[in-house]
Amino acid sequence: MTGNIAFLGYGLAAIGPGIGIGLIFAAYINGVARQPEARGMLQTIAFTGMALTEALAILGLVFAFVFRG
Amino acid sequence: MALLSVVTAAEGPGWPTALPLLPQPAEMLTGIVAFGILYWLYKTKVVPRLEELYAARAAAIEGGMHKAEEAQAQAQAALEQYQAQLREARAEASRIREDAKAQGATILAELRSQAAAEASRITETAHKQIEAERQQALVSLRGEVGRISVDLASRVVGESLHDETRQKGIVDRFLAELESGDVVREKVGAPRAEDA
Amino acid sequence: MSRNVLSAHFPSISAPAVVAAAEEDGSFKAPGTAEFYWPLIGGDNNWALTRPSVVLLISVALLGWFFITAASRLQLVPTRRQFLVEGVYGFVRNSIGRDVIGEREFRPFLPLLFTVFTMILLNNVFGIVPFVQFPTMSRVAFPIVLTLAVYVTYHVVAIRRKHGVVGYFKSLVPAGLPRWLVPIMFVLEVATYFFIRPLTLALRLFGNMLAGHLMLLVFILGGEYLLLRGGNVLLAFSGVMSFAFAIVMTFFELLVEFLQAFIFTILTALYLADAVSESH
Repeated sequence: MTGNIAFLGYGLAAIGPGIGIGLIFAAYINGVARQPEARGMLQTIAFTGMALTEALAILGLVFAFVFRG
Repeated sequence: MALLSVVTAAEGPGWPTALPLLPQPAEMLTGIVAFGILYWLYKTKVVPRLEELYAARAAAIEGGMHKAEEAQAQAQAALEQYQAQLREARAEASRIREDAKAQGATILAELRSQAAAEASRITETAHKQIEAERQQALVSLRGEVGRISVDLASRVVGESLHDETRQKGIVDRFLAELESGDVVREKVGAPRAEDA
Repeated sequence: MSRNVLSAHFPSISAPAVVAAAEEDGSFKAPGTAEFYWPLIGGDNNWALTRPSVVLLISVALLGWFFITAASRLQLVPTRRQFLVEGVYGFVRNSIGRDVIGEREFRPFLPLLFTVFTMILLNNVFGIVPFVQFPTMSRVAFPIVLTLAVYVTYHVVAIRRKHGVVGYFKSLVPAGLPRWLVPIMFVLEVATYFFIRPLTLALRLFGNMLAGHLMLLVFILGGEYLLLRGGNVLLAFSGVMSFAFAIVMTFFELLVEFLQAFIFTILTALYLADAVSESH
């Protein structure tokens, strides 16, 4: 079995954003369930938050590829 | 730096497949061309038409709503008219009924008065007739009484007094006096008032 | 390994390369990122015409043909095909464009949003369409191109709206912050607007498509290896199970493909909404 320690690092780096995105969408679903009419506004905010949070995981992926050589 | 060495090495034969994050120039170019073409097609041919459709549909829906409102207003007006007519008809009917009732009462009263008049007329006629008959009976009775008394007197006197009686109108005069009260009835044998 | 051999397998999936590689030394070689590079014409260099490029061009031709012919005979009462077109367009227009950018501003950006959405969706779905079976967006060049278009658009729009470059940079920092916080926020916002946003936008799509396709490859190629060269019945059975799981994952991929197209488009709309808004 061959591999690269960088991808192990990526796996670890994805834990935090994973939890973060889970929290964001949990809050979003809660919000929509409480106030369905606020869906449009909440969707915007939720996706902004998701983009910011996922940026970390994506940076991890980039660095995994860059530093594996 | 591995990345740098690979990028410089990419000039030679062989694409560095170990670096998936390195965009291949030919693919970049194709991507830009493809995106440009699709964007241009959408911008000139697809989106304006679809927007037109949306606008037309919105207008159609608005027009439809307007039409529906108009129809509703018309229906409302028709309903009101109908109801007004109905009310009017009801009023008319009740008025006619009232009229008929009043008319009936009038007719009844008229008939009643007519009947009463008729009845009184009939009664009067009957009275008149009775009076006439009584008069007639009186006249014939008077003639009869005169004749009978003259007969009686003739018998008493022994000769016919009829002509003389007729000539002198004695009986009639007597009867007239009797009626007018000039002749006082007297008992046989009682002294006469003139004599007293 | 030699890629010229693969040119002959244009309509097939990329599996034969790995099987061939596995056959050479008899042990299983897991599919890697190398499977995604697949030149057709021009050899093995920077300017080779690759199969994903061809797929992308085909997708543009398909989309152009489909939407233009549908748009050229639109009716107020839609036919079945127009219903589909309107469904896709209405989704992008109303759910993404109008709801995110706003009623007043969204119209000029509709071609961009619609291009981005349909292009990503069709090319992603190509990942599970038989005989194509390659998600074009798993080649990083194409997400980069799309992101470039979005990046340029939202910066240009923002600079126009916020009275020049200086006004744009001033608007990056929200008003009413404590004085000591302003430089930190400025650096953070510049990093977000100029580096993190494009990077994440491109790489999210790329990463999802690459990972999804790689996972399918692993299950299918691994299943094939176990079935044909596993040696005993148990391993052959697990190979069959691997195939079955690959089918399940294909449906999961369909969901991911749609979701990534949606996320890319809604983030584009968000960034554009940010650019057209008066205050930051």
